[in-house]
Amino acid sequence: MIASDAMFRLRILGGIITGGLMVLWLALFRIQVLNAEVYGSREQAQSLRRIRLPPSRGDIVDRHGVVLAQNRPSYDVVLYLDQLRSSKRQDIYRLASSHLAVLAEVMNRPVTLTEREIRLHDQRRRPLPLTVWRNLPPPTQAAFAERAAQLPAVDLIATPVRHYPHGALAAHLLGFVGQAEQPDEADAEDYYYHQADTVGKQGIEKTCDEALRGAPGGRTIRVNPSGRCVGEVGYKPAERGDRVTLTIDVNIQRIVENALDHAPLSGGAELRGAAVVLDPRNGEVLAMASRPTFNPNLFTPGAPPEEVALLLRNPGSPLLNRATGARYAPGSIFKPISLLAMLESGRVKVGDTVDCRGSLQIGNRSFGCWHRQGHGRVDALAAMRQSCDVWFYEKGIAAKVDNIAQMAIEFGLGQPTGFDGGSETAGLVPTPGWKRIHYGDRWWDGDTAQMAIGQGFLLTTPLQMACVAAALANGGTLWRPFVLRRIETADGTLVSERKPERRRTIFSSHLEFVRQAMLEVVEAPNGTGHRAAVPGLRVAGKTGTAETDIRVDGAVRRVKRAWFIAFAPFEAPQVALAVVFEQGEGGGHTAAPVAGRILADIFGRREGHGR
Amino acid sequence: MSERRDRMLWRRMDWVLFAVMVALAVASVAFIFSASYRGPGQPMPLFYRQQLIWFVAGLALYLVVMVVDYRLICQWATVWYALAVVALVLVLVFGVKVYGARRWLGWGRFGIQPAEMAKLAVIVTLAYYLFHRTPDQRRHWSTIAGAWMWTGVPFVLILVEPDLGSAFTLVPIVFGMLFLAGARVKQLALAGLLGLCLTPVAWWHMKAYQRERLTVFLNPNRDPLGAGWNLNQSLIAVGSGGLTGKGFLQGTQNSLGYLPRTVAPNDFLFSVIAEEKGFVGSACVVGLYAVLLARGLRIAASARDRLGLLLATGIVVMLMVHVFVNIGMTIGLMPVTGLPLPLLSYGGSFVLASMTALGLLQNIWIHRRHY
Repeated sequence: MIASDAMFRLRILGGIITGGLMVLWLALFRIQVLNAEVYGSREQAQSLRRIRLPPSRGDIVDRHGVVLAQNRPSYDVVLYLDQLRSSKRQDIYRLASSHLAVLAEVMNRPVTLTEREIRLHDQRRRPLPLTVWRNLPPPTQAAFAERAAQLPAVDLIATPVRHYPHGALAAHLLGFVGQAEQPDEADAEDYYYHQADTVGKQGIEKTCDEALRGAPGGRTIRVNPSGRCVGEVGYKPAERGDRVTLTIDVNIQRIVENALDHAPLSGGAELRGAAVVLDPRNGEVLAMASRPTFNPNLFTPGAPPEEVALLLRNPGSPLLNRATGARYAPGSIFKPISLLAMLESGRVKVGDTVDCRGSLQIGNRSFGCWHRQGHGRVDALAAMRQSCDVWFYEKGIAAKVDNIAQMAIEFGLGQPTGFDGGSETAGLVPTPGWKRIHYGDRWWDGDTAQMAIGQGFLLTTPLQMACVAAALANGGTLWRPFVLRRIETADGTLVSERKPERRRTIFSSHLEFVRQAMLEVVEAPNGTGHRAAVPGLRVAGKTGTAETDIRVDGAVRRVKRAWFIAFAPFEAPQVALAVVFEQGEGGGHTAAPVAGRILADIFGRREGHGR
Repeated sequence: MSERRDRMLWRRMDWVLFAVMVALAVASVAFIFSASYRGPGQPMPLFYRQQLIWFVAGLALYLVVMVVDYRLICQWATVWYALAVVALVLVLVFGVKVYGARRWLGWGRFGIQPAEMAKLAVIVTLAYYLFHRTPDQRRHWSTIAGAWMWTGVPFVLILVEPDLGSAFTLVPIVFGMLFLAGARVKQLALAGLLGLCLTPVAWWHMKAYQRERLTVFLNPNRDPLGAGWNLNQSLIAVGSGGLTGKGFLQGTQNSLGYLPRTVAPNDFLFSVIAEEKGFVGSACVVGLYAVLLARGLRIAASARDRLGLLLATGIVVMLMVHVFVNIGMTIGLMPVTGLPLPLLSYGGSFVLASMTALGLLQNIWIHRRHY
């Protein structure tokens, strides 16, 4: 029989056991119920990886739907490091390099991956493919399929790469893309493995980047302790970027670029310049080109870096869009504006004549006319037609500088145009106040004379002058120039559509006189712009030659900015343009023929003009 | 005569105890399957089948041990004790070395761990020894010394294998049985204190991995990718199971190998259950053990004689130590020692030992005193 003492001791033992079990229950309750989230997130953190899937970029098309920028597949050979290793102890670099040696031998192609690259990839982004060769040409793809496809952990994958099917055509306007430099802070936290986005670096690619980029997708994968992917938990496809329709007309763009390339430059002069063609009825940019140019396809990943470096070091700054980003003294193409300012001021009449003797003495300085022999007695019309500087010196001083500056500002000079296709510079419209601040000097009559002929401090961009030409063409409406016509989603839903925007209207009873004068510039046999004439097309225009001193290798050199602005057909203008060359012989000699050739080609009057 | 006795036997059995054992065995096979599962169609080790075979073998042993009167079994105590000591010596000489410890005595494909059997042998021996001491002797120092002499030999033999966990399981067993035998609490406390003084000696004799395990237990984040790995991953498995678990075969901690595949089916099977069945499942497992231990205590209380009481006490303490140390280990309450969870963990030796122990409990119950 069991004594009561033993029963008592048995109860104590039971109590101890109960206590022990309670401890277990409570500890389990604390871990599994109270702290479940802590351990759940730790479990996810160690076994779930999110991979950001970069979206594919939207297309850029011209006004007729011709593709200007798209994506093409690049066939890359990749190595999956996580599939290579079977045990934690194996050294990944030795394993990978012996594997790559086999691959290199089979494909007869050198592998350039460094130890650092392989190790870094293994540490940071193990489940992602490591690219061995980019952009394999089709015969090599076939060789891969034949000889290397059965090698373990190796694969041929297609990745989208930005492609510009027309090469350098409209390169400055379209811009180019590159890899995003730093992942956004938020993204870096959300996605364990970040695959760099393609981002626009210039031009439309940059200004429309947000629309073109699309929305990234993501893959959530489960990895085992050695980082190998063992399955997919979630997948959200990337959303393709929007399709951007430009106002550009590929045919006109090609005509303009072709004309620039065939500019009649004198020997030794470098082809540097720009041309802009607008629709004067709404401000649409039909073509925009800049020289020297570049091939945006060069910036796609895998391109030889030395070629890119060469491009960046080029003293001609080929990446600069001179149509919007360079500013030049306009020279005589400014005369329509200063003439209008003079007539509007009421101090100058159309019939006022000046006897041009080749120069004019203002104060103690002599200001020359471009025509050293002098134009003789000229009135306003003749002064425009033959671009007589002396008439403009004298009448400009009479009209007062403020009126001229005011009119220049009316025409949108000295301020950004608000163009949506890339960065631009404002140019400069000087005033007496401006000169006092920047030079500490008063405004002299000589300054007014210089400004009246578009020289001195005045600076304009080709785009601004094309806008001026358009405003003169349409009777005074200054449109905001634009190139983005429409943005649609990849499946065709309209996102936004650009409407023409009127910046201001210049009301002037003298505008028609200026337009007539510009018509004479081209149509009169002694007009300075007669080389822009196109048979069967009524072209109005104005030449400009601005002498400027530039520094080349430390030495000062005098060059002539050769300008031409024009619009056609005269009665109902459909096209307005501005052409400039940094090193020309003169507006009439260099720029006018190019403008004429452009207009002839646009209106299908090629025969009888140019080559 | 024998027919009637058999009928009586079935009628007198503790069916609740039997049911709990079967339930744990079923859970064992199911979750060992889950612990070795690698996804649909993937080849997997067939531990669960092996475990099933152990259970069948264990059931046979269970029935034999249940039927033969425990008093008869205990009369052979010296034989069991001698066999256990011989086996423990043999394992030191011929044992198979696994992870630096000789714990396995193998015949071809099969192997047993004598240490698991030795625990039972010690319980039977102590019960028999204490039963034969007079009540006055039991309150005397000599009994404590005697009990420790009997235990000391297997204790040291197991310690040098080395199998720290199993060796120290003997300590609460001896103290528990001495306590129930009527030893003075003051004397037991003094003996315990003496043992504690010997701990620094033990530390000095420990192997590097054993010290590492103990320091990791004290600070699991010290080296999470090294020695603390198992504990951390087990904690994550248990905790991420939440209230209701991820579902059978849905546990990621073991199927992906975060909980190492070498330990998931045996030492850390509880983590697998806790991850897949959540708090509901793990609390139920603890509950099953609670029922099992309560039944054991009831059996001890209703034993026909002090021999049965002591035997049942030894078995209950042994099972409790295994349950507490193993589950405690998976949730960081106890150091990582590798004591299996009775009836759940994969492993033949302890399945057989546990079922023999439960057979003995049934035995004591069947032969309980009559009211």
